[in-house]
Amino acid sequence: MKHSIIDLLVRPGAFFQNAMNDKESLKFPALIVLVGGIAGALYGYLIGGLTGQLLGGIVPGMGTIIVLSTAIGALIGTFIFWAIWAGVMYAFSLIFKGEGTFRRTLEFIGYGYLPQVFGTLITFVIALNYIPRIHVPQLSAAASQNPDLITEAVKALMHDPAMMELSQIAMIISMVFLLWSANIWIFGMQHARKLSPRDAALCVGLPVVLYILYMIYSMAVM
Amino acid sequence: MKTVRIISLICLVLLAGAMVGVVSGDYTTPESIVAADKVYVSGATYNPAVFFPWDKGTLTIDVTNGNTATGVNVNHAALSSDAIIITSRPYDSSTSIGPAQKQSFIFSVIANGLDGTYYPTFSLSFRDADSLFYRAMVKIDDTPLEITILDKPDTFSAGKKKTVYAQVANPRENSVRNVILDVSGTGITTTPSRVFVGNVASGAKVPVNFSVTADQPTTLHLLLNYDNGDNPHSVNMDVPITFGVDKKRAYPVISNVKVKNDAGTYHITGDVNNAGLENANTVMVTSLAPAIPQDPYKTYVVGALKPDDFGSFEVTFSATTAENIPLQLSYKDADGNVYTSLQDVKISVVSTAAASTGLPIIPIIAAIVILAVFIGGWILYLKKSKK
Repeated sequence: MKHSIIDLLVRPGAFFQNAMNDKESLKFPALIVLVGGIAGALYGYLIGGLTGQLLGGIVPGMGTIIVLSTAIGALIGTFIFWAIWAGVMYAFSLIFKGEGTFRRTLEFIGYGYLPQVFGTLITFVIALNYIPRIHVPQLSAAASQNPDLITEAVKALMHDPAMMELSQIAMIISMVFLLWSANIWIFGMQHARKLSPRDAALCVGLPVVLYILYMIYSMAVM
Repeated sequence: MKTVRIISLICLVLLAGAMVGVVSGDYTTPESIVAADKVYVSGATYNPAVFFPWDKGTLTIDVTNGNTATGVNVNHAALSSDAIIITSRPYDSSTSIGPAQKQSFIFSVIANGLDGTYYPTFSLSFRDADSLFYRAMVKIDDTPLEITILDKPDTFSAGKKKTVYAQVANPRENSVRNVILDVSGTGITTTPSRVFVGNVASGAKVPVNFSVTADQPTTLHLLLNYDNGDNPHSVNMDVPITFGVDKKRAYPVISNVKVKNDAGTYHITGDVNNAGLENANTVMVTSLAPAIPQDPYKTYVVGALKPDDFGSFEVTFSATTAENIPLQLSYKDADGNVYTSLQDVKISVVSTAAASTGLPIIPIIAAIVILAVFIGGWILYLKKSKK
């Protein structure tokens, strides 16, 4: 890594201009995504713990499975989302006749994940404060015979005031750091796919804005 | 003829002389008269001491011979009065009272006068002297014993035991005996129902307490039986037993109620305050239909609450369609009587799910503003970079 992380965060244009002179390498972007995945897994561990606590009474040991699967899912999901974001933006860039390999796009999108690592860590710290305040409904083994009861319990957990507050804070933080990532991605796409600033902004902006609108909608209907 | 008159006169004189010899006899002597002077009434006792009109009783007259060496013979003792009827015969037989001895004469009497003081006369005839007269004062008084209710509950409640504090007082001048108070009434249970007080001296007051458990509004009958001497008497008193709200009773009140819907199981928490003046024992809170009590708190036992004390409770139940459910609060008084009260609690609007259906306006506005700033910033940047 020859280039400064500070440049990546505050002067992404200059960072990617220099990075274009280097050989394509996914090593450092993958490391950033891994750190982001680990942060996501920690946050997932906390949230999964609540779900595990909720459903643990139905089947003994189920709580542990849910916690582990949530944490692992968050870790793997971060890598999957990396690929999806890169794929979507690459696809959009095809409209604007972009030039450059998918590998380079994947590399630069990976760099752009760095702000989200910070965002996830901040969310994790906030969650540590909120989790003890969340009231988790208790379900007995008899509840397994009544799916409506389980649905009602999950609904009650999701609508717990502390849970609601945490979700909203997490969403806002996630959105802010996603936009920061989007800012980096625009410069990344501009260089990776040799696009004009306008085209690069559209390639990145459209899916990101749509995704954020979906996040806002999800929060509204929650 | 003249001779006959003289003989008749002589015979009359002789007869008169003979008769004087029989009456005053040959026993009347100056010594016997002196001895009779020293005989006196040393005591007169009525039983009872004070009569009710038409009471039967006795009068005992003690006659003491004050001579130290001479006995006296008495041959008639009698009692006479307008206020009392003497039912026993006079003493007609002759008897001797030795030196320094006492002889009692007992008369059965019936008081037939109205209230007042009377003076029956006792007379005693000496064989060797004149008679002795003595006025034995007797009182006739129609004043009965008094029953007083010192304290009783203002109102009674069905099945609740309450204590009545009564007092028996004797305003008469003599003591009475075998005083017994009977307590009775329709639809009530009294403990004890019969109280033996015993003797009550003149002017004395004796407290008598008993508890009353009434099942209905009724009248409490107090019957006080007592004996004046051997004469039974009674006095009664009626005490109304009225039902109403006991002003001193325990009064548990539910407050600070919070309802939480936890996956279809409602949790109601709150406080029970005792706003009454008596202890509320074994205070319990539970939910009633249409609520179906669920574990872990189907019924919550708060315990005993002193006046002005409070305790928290939590009940859990499930309810599908109800908007209100009744909470039942029960407690026991000191006698174990159970009291219950109901309080409706609205559960529909306070469920967590219902309470949180509103749009999170502030986060949404914040998100839109942030997004708008980002988009606006880039539009400006692009316009600048074109120039």
